[in-house]
Amino acid sequence: MSVIQNLIDGLGVGATYALLAIGVSMLFGVMHLVNFAHGELLTVGAYVMYFLREREVAWIVVVPAAIAAAVLLSMAIELVAFRRVRNASPFTLLLTSFAIEILSHSVWRIWLGSKQRTFAAPDIAFKTFEVGGLTVEWWDVISIVVAVLAFASTGWILRNTLFGISLRASAEDFDAARLMGVKANRVISGAFAFAGLLAGVGGSLYLLRRGSADPRMGADPLLKAVIAAIIGGLGSLKGAVIGGLALGVVEVFVRTALPSGIEGLSDAFVFVAIAVLFVVRPQGLFTVTTAERV
Amino acid sequence: MLAVENLTTKYGALTALRDASLHVGQGELVALVGPNGAGKTTLLSTVVGLLRPASGRVVFNGVDVTGRDPASLVASGLALVPERRRIFKDLSVKDNLLLASVTQPKRFRSDRLDEMASLFPILREKWDVSAGYLSGGQAQQLAVARALMSDPKVLLLDEPCLGLAPTMVDVIFDLLVSLKANGRTVLVVEQQAQRVLGIADRGYVLRTGSIVAEGTGADLLSHGDLFASYVGNV
Amino acid sequence: MMERHRALLGTAGPQAVASLVANLAVLAGVVLGGFAYAAGGGSSRDALVATLLTNMVMVIGFHVFVGNTGVLSFGHLGLASIAAYVMALLSIPLARKSVILTAKAPFGIREIVVDPRLAAIIGIAVATLVAALLGLVVARTSGLAATMITLALLFVVLQVANNWKDLTNGTGGLSSIPRLSGASWPVAGAVLAIVVAVWFRHSRSGRLAVATREDELAAAAMGIDVFRPRLIAFVVSGAVVGLGGILQTQSLGSLGPRQFAFEPTILILAMLVVGGMRTVTGAIFGTVFITAGKEFTRFLGDGPHFLGFTWPKVDGFPDLFLAAALLAVLLVRSSGLLGEFDAGELLHKFMHRFMRRFTRRLSAVPSATSADVIAAPSGLRLVTTDLGVTFGGFTAVDGVSFEVAPGSIHGLIGPNGAGKTTVVNLLTGIYQPTTGCVVLGDTEVVGPPHKRARQGIARTFQNLRVFGSLAVRENIAIADLVAAKYRASRGGGPGVEELLRLSGLGDMADRRASTLDYGNQRRLEIARAAALRPAFLLLDEPTSGMSETESLEMVNHVRRIAAAVGAGVLVIDHDLGFITTICDRITVLDQGRVIAEGTPAEVQRNQHVIDAYLGTAAAQPGDEVR
Repeated sequence: MSVIQNLIDGLGVGATYALLAIGVSMLFGVMHLVNFAHGELLTVGAYVMYFLREREVAWIVVVPAAIAAAVLLSMAIELVAFRRVRNASPFTLLLTSFAIEILSHSVWRIWLGSKQRTFAAPDIAFKTFEVGGLTVEWWDVISIVVAVLAFASTGWILRNTLFGISLRASAEDFDAARLMGVKANRVISGAFAFAGLLAGVGGSLYLLRRGSADPRMGADPLLKAVIAAIIGGLGSLKGAVIGGLALGVVEVFVRTALPSGIEGLSDAFVFVAIAVLFVVRPQGLFTVTTAERV
Repeated sequence: MLAVENLTTKYGALTALRDASLHVGQGELVALVGPNGAGKTTLLSTVVGLLRPASGRVVFNGVDVTGRDPASLVASGLALVPERRRIFKDLSVKDNLLLASVTQPKRFRSDRLDEMASLFPILREKWDVSAGYLSGGQAQQLAVARALMSDPKVLLLDEPCLGLAPTMVDVIFDLLVSLKANGRTVLVVEQQAQRVLGIADRGYVLRTGSIVAEGTGADLLSHGDLFASYVGNV
Repeated sequence: MMERHRALLGTAGPQAVASLVANLAVLAGVVLGGFAYAAGGGSSRDALVATLLTNMVMVIGFHVFVGNTGVLSFGHLGLASIAAYVMALLSIPLARKSVILTAKAPFGIREIVVDPRLAAIIGIAVATLVAALLGLVVARTSGLAATMITLALLFVVLQVANNWKDLTNGTGGLSSIPRLSGASWPVAGAVLAIVVAVWFRHSRSGRLAVATREDELAAAAMGIDVFRPRLIAFVVSGAVVGLGGILQTQSLGSLGPRQFAFEPTILILAMLVVGGMRTVTGAIFGTVFITAGKEFTRFLGDGPHFLGFTWPKVDGFPDLFLAAALLAVLLVRSSGLLGEFDAGELLHKFMHRFMRRFTRRLSAVPSATSADVIAAPSGLRLVTTDLGVTFGGFTAVDGVSFEVAPGSIHGLIGPNGAGKTTVVNLLTGIYQPTTGCVVLGDTEVVGPPHKRARQGIARTFQNLRVFGSLAVRENIAIADLVAAKYRASRGGGPGVEELLRLSGLGDMADRRASTLDYGNQRRLEIARAAALRPAFLLLDEPTSGMSETESLEMVNHVRRIAAAVGAGVLVIDHDLGFITTICDRITVLDQGRVIAEGTPAEVQRNQHVIDAYLGTAAAQPGDEVR
């Protein structure tokens, strides 16, 4: 019984990781960037929620506004920073993303201070229901449903729209895509917007439960998303989804399995596992396999 | 239609192309030949904007397009079939083609797809197959079809026969001839010099980064320089 | 042998000394400036100097690994943390320990107490040991994978520090750590760090590590196994950073997980990147620049009266400055403010004349005039038999056999896609053959590229791979360094200075290789390969991108070098004018098979060859190539 309960918990948490991880993986695919600034999209969403809720704006407006803020910030970061280092080494790209992360932290701190700003989460975030002896949080169910919808529509967009096809083509061979008339700026900007959208959706699931904003809040979930993306194989979107969900589930199970006294070390065990995984399979678990005629 | 004027391109310290000039007139099939490493691919890459020239100009349709982005050149009617094809192996044949119509107005896209389907029946059969599963010859046809999707005024081809079996080479040469018959302007880079000069209106010989000879196909074939460029002075 | 070693000392020694002296001078300037500033007031300024110096130790520690290997690490503060915790846990007095730690504390740590100095040494030793273990993994991977493993280290250490409360007291941290008296500890630490960093940079491992940073593939072709120098760099930098962790904990007297967490890592990396990660001078400069900037912005944020008006009190200015400085440097000048500038190099140039005299005295006896060059050892025969390779059902090279007589120059040609590059990759170990073998003299050549280089196959690359930011002389000296260890049995052959002279590079020996013109870079690459004292030289398109006159000069150059080294040569090229002039014999490939072999004249008359090149008739039916 508790296994199923843990599974649901894990998938609920993992949904946010997965939605962030898709963005991380996508940006790696198109420009070999591991974007540590991606978590800042969560932070901006949280502050937007805080501001609007202070003014008692309805959730139905607040959530889309938070998502929109994430999309805009994602595009703005690309325009101001990553565009200038697009062809730089992964080393430079990685450090640039860190610089943006700290920049965002300090801007929020200067503006609003480092103290946590809370906003009351909607009631639904904490309601539970019983089924077959299990106590299930509504929010876990909503998270899983929203995530599934998001995955499905992402898949549909990537397969059936010209934008999606350009994105996949650019991830495979950027110059060849340009030779077909795909505008480099537009497709990368689009990728950032799309990644921002998914981060906004995933972030909302996370934020409505958390109900607070502070300058450094984006760092932790983003780290998990990066790990998820690495597990899935950077560049593989399917892998990112599986990696995110798996990470959520593993975390919950490890936490419940560890003896008391070191139960706080669950993340440490996960990190060690990731490091080992990386040594054994540096390309991740679900690397994009290119169809090849044998 | 397309004029390359005194183009010089460098990779760091290496000068891959020196002061090369050539022109392609409306409806012409022009061949660019020369030994491996002579700078043929560099020339095409510079023309389509993948590389920036150190000096010189590219004039297309009377407009100086030097240093323009490849995507905008495709939109204005200059398409390249790149060396080794570079088809998108993860995309289906149809998506490969659809992607290449990105510069076309929406309403023309499906017409162009139909056109390619009838032009290349072999691709029609593989419409929803991942392009990675195509054979070398099919992949090359896809690469050409892909470039034709943008309905280019000038089509550039870089070594379309590279690595193909002899029967497939025949198919590609037939394709070149039919492109020309349909009035398309073509600049083709090809290793098989004698064969391509046999069907071309005019040709240029590139050697160690410089154009060393130009003339009609027949002229060049009887010219000693061509032979010397490949096999050395005996 | 002795001469060679002394000659090496002669070239690298004074540079190391100059670098050390110059960097210590910079440090002295910083310390004096700091104390002059500190004299103005209070203990907080003393603390500032201490912070500056401990940060400097950390930055230099990162530089040793990141700057010399080019692999980004996020994990080093994890090592600093380990050193600090070990030191603290061992040295905190028993009375305090029983208060801080619960009875469940593992390892009997509550009952142990050792002298703080010993505890510090044990701390650094443990950090170094962990670095060695982790290094075994990091040095095997490269690029992003290595970076991510170091990141995992940081987080594991952090998690343990935060959550293993019985051992670390969690976020509460450790306090009452006994302090070593004397404000000079940070100064001593900084001096030590500089000495170690400069020593490492000029050590054998350091030079090899830098070569792998410049170009991993070219380094392997020089017989350098990337693993060892990278591992040693990781261990040395781990020790330095461990020292930094000890110093920082010492100056604070307390220790908590946040001290070595993620933000401090970014701070240290920012210092390194802003200053210029490749030199010790850059590391020092970056530390001072960021520290000063942060101090100034902190002052601004405190709401001072300044420039005529009162500034608002703002939290977060220093971080803003840090992020903005890092971002600006990355976007505008990613090599750092100082770039490759090394105060040591400047000093070295400044003292050039003196140094010349000094080096001459050291290496005067053996300095070889051309007449003294020991006769080149005789070459070995290279035989490939039935060489073939198949990639997923496609045969790229099929049954290729040829033989290169000792000391002769052999050409390998063929049209585009004929398989020339594949044959080169098979000879140099980038691919393993499916069939056949390569025999040099009477030993079979096997293994990965660096092993084959040590067995005597040296190569150059089609697309120039010199070690760009290293001096021309150092490019050759690195190969010589490898040769001294692995090719000593070959004996003889020209030394570094002789190769410089033979290649006409004598006047440019102190310039960075990337500043040479194309032809000279080509010659340098050949000289570097020759310095490996190979039995066999493989030249991959040595004239690509050259004009015809340059190509003809290259003919004489290759002959001269090959004769001096006594090596056989295999030239791959498409320039037939060049090939037919230089080669004794030529093998022609088409579609992965040998279609002709003979003297240049024979090959030029061969109808198969003419057909293959000009594409007159269809080539032999073969599998289609994709």
